[in-house]
Amino acid sequence: MNPVSTAVRGLFRSPPLLTFLLVALVWLVASLTLRGFGAYGHLRYLLELSAVIGIVAAGQTLVIIMGGIDLSVGAIITVTAILLPLISPAADPSGIVGIALALAIATGIGLLNGAGAAYLRVPPIIMTLAMATFLQGLLVMVAGGSAVSVTNASVIWLGQARPLGIPAGVILWIVVAISVLLILHRTPMGSRFLALGANPVAARLSGISITRNTLVLYALSGFFSGVAGILILGMNRQGYVGIGDPYLLTSIAAVVLGGTSILGGRGTYAGTIPGAILLVTTTALITIVNASPGWRSIMFGSLILALLLISGREARR
Amino acid sequence: MISSMPLLEARGISKGFFGNPVLKGISISLQPGRVHALLGENGAGKSTLINLLSGALQPDGGEIAVDGKAVSRFNPGAARAAGVAVVQQELSLASELSIAENVGLGAYPRRFGLVDYKALAEQVKTVCDMVGLTEALDTPVGDLSLGRRQMVEIAKALFLKPRVLILDEPTSSLSAHEAGILSALILKLRDQGIALLYISHRLNEVRALCSHVTVLKDGVVTADQPLAGVDAEGLVKLMVGRDPGDLFPTWEAVLPGEERISVTGLSAGMVRDIDFSARAGEIVGIGGLVGQGQEDFLLGLYGALPGSVKTARLCERDGLFSDVGAANAAGLAYVPADRKKEGLVLPHSIATNLLMPSLGKLTKNGFRDRGAEKNTVLQLASRLMIKGDTGRPVQALSGGNQQKVALAKWLPLDPSVLLLNDPTRGVDIETKREIYLMLRGFAAEGKLVILLSSDTPELVHLCDRVLVFRDGRTVAALQRAEITEEAIVGAAMGLTSREAA
Repeated sequence: MNPVSTAVRGLFRSPPLLTFLLVALVWLVASLTLRGFGAYGHLRYLLELSAVIGIVAAGQTLVIIMGGIDLSVGAIITVTAILLPLISPAADPSGIVGIALALAIATGIGLLNGAGAAYLRVPPIIMTLAMATFLQGLLVMVAGGSAVSVTNASVIWLGQARPLGIPAGVILWIVVAISVLLILHRTPMGSRFLALGANPVAARLSGISITRNTLVLYALSGFFSGVAGILILGMNRQGYVGIGDPYLLTSIAAVVLGGTSILGGRGTYAGTIPGAILLVTTTALITIVNASPGWRSIMFGSLILALLLISGREARR
Repeated sequence: MISSMPLLEARGISKGFFGNPVLKGISISLQPGRVHALLGENGAGKSTLINLLSGALQPDGGEIAVDGKAVSRFNPGAARAAGVAVVQQELSLASELSIAENVGLGAYPRRFGLVDYKALAEQVKTVCDMVGLTEALDTPVGDLSLGRRQMVEIAKALFLKPRVLILDEPTSSLSAHEAGILSALILKLRDQGIALLYISHRLNEVRALCSHVTVLKDGVVTADQPLAGVDAEGLVKLMVGRDPGDLFPTWEAVLPGEERISVTGLSAGMVRDIDFSARAGEIVGIGGLVGQGQEDFLLGLYGALPGSVKTARLCERDGLFSDVGAANAAGLAYVPADRKKEGLVLPHSIATNLLMPSLGKLTKNGFRDRGAEKNTVLQLASRLMIKGDTGRPVQALSGGNQQKVALAKWLPLDPSVLLLNDPTRGVDIETKREIYLMLRGFAAEGKLVILLSSDTPELVHLCDRVLVFRDGRTVAALQRAEITEEAIVGAAMGLTSREAA
């Protein structure tokens, strides 16, 4: 067989690589045609935005690989962003205690999602949607309509600092990415997630606990949403109701763009990373086009659909 | 006896699935005014024959004839036109619809283009009266007991005014009273000139209702004769009896070791109140008709199905397991019957499947130990004689090799008890032989093997003792010298072992 065609075919079988190449292509073409797009500052800004989606999508990737879905990530982000300024104790100038508390709350919410799915057998799509609705109601009562400003030093550092010229948020994303890739591909737990996603019955009869892994998984998703919420808060300096909403659809889209099967059992975070960058880039390009907000939304929705049709399509039998 | 023109005939039909022949040139002829019995063990090909006679499947060879004339393409439409109705073993009713709607499904009377419920009720009432359905006709079928639903199913078949009625184990969920009504109805239909084909595992019913019998055995007809003068034992003899050849290894019983399993009063799923114990070095066979609780028994022992016991001691541990992980840790392993759905993760690689149960053992500092994993996979593959790349998806393997993977994945855990659910179903002869050798090997190593099998010769030739299940209970416990196909099948059919022997 022709080695070139074999290589090309291999490429098309690897969705992560394909998505990476698509990102590179879009960046290259946009840099050459649009003034200012290829500037270091602009690309760095795109990566900063991608980091948030990438971190939310870290948990979402794991959940989807196990055959579930987490529709509460947006609400958990909002909860973290609003509660963190309120619960950071003034006695701790570093702000680490506040961060730890907020992450504990986010993880706890995820654990509740997992408990509902594992013990009460509520389908994850219903469990997490109900959780999101519940949290939104709670936040309206706690925060009302007003925004909450953050004074937590660590959070502000995370959102603003650029050690060695690299945004702290991007460094955080790299740490998250390495951890998730290790969990998924180098630990028994990751292998169990994949087995459970592909065939829960066979996995269970092989001694893999559905209950335990479901709990761990949704707790992880809650944790990563919390991390993303803190990052967003640092970048925005304010938390308000609805701040996390845009990240629900984008986190799922990033996962699927990266070639992870929405049906579970197959996928990798390595694809979600370029998936997140691709989404942000697309949004940026749409913003450059001088269109009304309504049209921008329509274009964004259509583009996500088109991108999914190209790269994230379920393999045909 | 006057032989009249058969209403429906199969003439030398054969049918295979995936190159595996199920029916090999069999013929059957259904005469008007006769109740014809169809008998055969599990897997003899009865269901396939029914599907061919009702047009649900097309034969690979041979032909179906209606009123003596061959029909070129006998599909469900042609079957309906010929007046063939089937009462299926698995109920096919829509539980949200009412009795009337279910019975009349597909033939609703219309008025101004809408369903005329009044006319429907009148039409349906006749057949419901015939089968003794006294419930209000607008009762949703989902509210009825299993036995009543079966009667609705029969009414539905009668509604089509069939000339040929096929009944596949119609009494398995009926109460004695309902079965009595059905028997009377069958005889009445027979006297009206309908041809009936009656499939049942209840030999007394068969002898009471039927006048002619066809016996299937491994896809061929081994008997086609009037029933008069054949007793129950005679029927059992017709169903068994085949030369096992040199398929099975020769073996010596191992002196049984310590007690590995001991339960009293085990109930789980459809299993009721079973006392059971078994020792290291034994192969204990579990037999019976399909679905008499054998699988629930294994799943109950394995902690995969919640159950209750009076006392239980499993691998030196008291009580039933709360989950599969605990059972694995204690030394139990389970190989499911449906390897594609329950045993393997088909799209994943052979290596991934082989490692699934032992992932937690092959680690270094909490991470997967690639070297140890690779060694384990290599060892298993060579032991199983699986050639080629273990990175291939397991679905690329043949059925036999898939089954070997489903079994071998447990070996790294060195289980002391193996629960095997029909491990040779759909497996080629060569792999069967390998699996049999492995099983006796396990027993010789001092493992306890519990072998649930739908293949009676397997139980006869491999097991130290055999339990036969019926209706969720053990109806026979056969020791080595007593294990014969006749004894197993007889007990499964509800004869006492003395009668059958």
